[in-house]
Amino acid sequence: MIDPYYLQQLAIGLSLGMTYALMAIGFTLIFGVLNVVNFAHGEIYTLGAFAGLVLISAVAPPIVAVIFGALAVGALAGFSLERLAFKPFRRFTDEASLKSRAMRESTLLSSLAVSIVVREALEILFGSEMRSLPFDYLINTPVRIGPVILVTGDFIIFGVAAAMLIGLQYLLTRTRIGLAIRAVSNNPLGAKYVGIDTDRTIITTFVVGSMMGAAAGILMGLYYGAIFPAMGFVPGIKAFVAMVMGGLSSIPGAVVCALILGVAESMATTFVSSGWSDMVAYAFLILTLIFFPNGLFGARRERV
Amino acid sequence: MTKGAATMTVRLRTLSTLAAVLATTAIAGSALAADTVKLGYQLPLTGDTAQYGQDFRKAAEIALAEFNAAGKPFKVEIVFEDSRSDAKEGTNIARKFVDDKAIVGVLGDFTSGVSMAAAQVYKEAGLPQLSQTASHPDYAKISKYQFRNIATQAQEGPYNAKWMAAKGFKNIAVIAEQTDWGQSVVGGFSDAVKANGGAVAFSEFFNRGLKDYRSLISKIERAKPDAIYTGFFYEDGAQFLRQLQQLGVKTPVYSTSAAYSPKLIELAGDAAEGVHLTSNFLPTDPAPHIQHFVDEWKARSGGAVPGQFPAQAYDAVRIMLAAVEKASPNPTREKVRDALAQTKDFPGVTGKTTFNADREAEKELVKVEVKGGAFVPVAD
Repeated sequence: MIDPYYLQQLAIGLSLGMTYALMAIGFTLIFGVLNVVNFAHGEIYTLGAFAGLVLISAVAPPIVAVIFGALAVGALAGFSLERLAFKPFRRFTDEASLKSRAMRESTLLSSLAVSIVVREALEILFGSEMRSLPFDYLINTPVRIGPVILVTGDFIIFGVAAAMLIGLQYLLTRTRIGLAIRAVSNNPLGAKYVGIDTDRTIITTFVVGSMMGAAAGILMGLYYGAIFPAMGFVPGIKAFVAMVMGGLSSIPGAVVCALILGVAESMATTFVSSGWSDMVAYAFLILTLIFFPNGLFGARRERV
Repeated sequence: MTKGAATMTVRLRTLSTLAAVLATTAIAGSALAADTVKLGYQLPLTGDTAQYGQDFRKAAEIALAEFNAAGKPFKVEIVFEDSRSDAKEGTNIARKFVDDKAIVGVLGDFTSGVSMAAAQVYKEAGLPQLSQTASHPDYAKISKYQFRNIATQAQEGPYNAKWMAAKGFKNIAVIAEQTDWGQSVVGGFSDAVKANGGAVAFSEFFNRGLKDYRSLISKIERAKPDAIYTGFFYEDGAQFLRQLQQLGVKTPVYSTSAAYSPKLIELAGDAAEGVHLTSNFLPTDPAPHIQHFVDEWKARSGGAVPGQFPAQAYDAVRIMLAAVEKASPNPTREKVRDALAQTKDFPGVTGKTTFNADREAEKELVKVEVKGGAFVPVAD
């Protein structure tokens, strides 16, 4: 018989991993699959959470409506983000610019700039302190399964993450838009030459990815019961690590790695001080980069 | 009227306005030079801890407005600088304040770490520094220019240890955030527990801003403590208490005055019930000066009740202002320091404050328990 303590830690780790996975899915779609350097995903997540907060305090709709509201805000935010931080760098259509790494990587700074502006704006508007959500909305009622205690949110997050994962896999592998996303990611110039509307494809990816980010934000807000402007930073880092470990372009890879990360962190707390458990993520990142430069699940791919 | 004449009138008007503005500025300028004393306040106004710094600024503005409206022979101006709770930034601000010869005293910073980093600069320059919250034991030891308006963990730890021993808790788990302050919480408390014949069953640090305490809670529970003593602020505290409730843990929780904020109850809801902590500010105290501060605060915060930190900041600013007044006319940094050191029985909202020979504020602590969604003073 396994010590119930370890079962509980395993359950906590899986639930922690699911929360990372929730964030990692949208992040990987934009950053990894579309192959666009985007550091503003954490703020999309925060915006989704604040949209939910505003909706709840204004009209107190049912929880499903709150999530749809957050999705709408996410779609709008994704569209605006692309317009502000990414589109300007695609205005040169000559071959040299399209092939230029500098041009592609300059969005690292422009997306970071957008993220800082959004975060500071939220601080000015809402204040930087944690805000609570009404307790009726929270998804953290304890659920006991044998020796293990989880909360309702764990199941909801699992369901949502699974739906996102399956939906995206279907979108990417079975639909024309998915084909277009993969084509643009593989070779933007080639995609343009064969008649793919690259602008539209990129915008669609941002909208879909950001909707997922915003939904993750409000779900996590309801799960932990607190919302604040800097809330997107830590999940952003964890999602980034999961994505790199998973091999950048693989969404299932990122999800599996997010779970590994969560379990490793909660198990690590048993053996080392909790203050050190954040080290686990960085240690994994470094080990992956040294021993598996293509990630644990990454398919080899030619980088332009 | 011809077009030329119209332009002319406009020009004349502009000129006369300009002259008027210039004259006013000149007068204001000379007035500023003659009767204005400058203080610096370094505090986090952006970043992770901005909520605290913004509260301090609000408290300082209340204290300053009262002082300037009281018809004193001079006015005081406070220069606020944003340190983002970053030690490097804090040191830069300290250099800036030191270079401004008009500044005779400095308030802040928020965290012990940043206050201590900046203190090195103030020590060299001989500029008095009064922090409303830096409670690390080493802070006031840096030089004769460092003062604080908060009970240190060296004072609060033994007080709480005695309280818990009196309640019959022998085996105690201690957790605190991984900061200079958190270490002083664990240090100050653990030694006193052992001195009282108790045992520290478990002791661990967590990173500030941790989201998920469930792993840590399971680990604490495995050590089977009688009670948990915690060194955290209200955000971390609320998360911890809620997850404690989720996991069905009933072990009593004790904490320091740092967690004493109405936001703790707002964020944790009924999970905060039964938490014991110490405080030196009670917004429900009917004393007129306390109610005056609470009313002023509510008027500027949409009806919210102030926590302990803003109250400490309000008192710190008023103590500094009183010292400046005592050192005037022509206050210098040295005179302000000496006046601060002489502060005795200052009647603040956080109790009477006296700086002892080590420039520590001797505070009276009150025992508080969360009951029915409010902080209620308790006798034992």
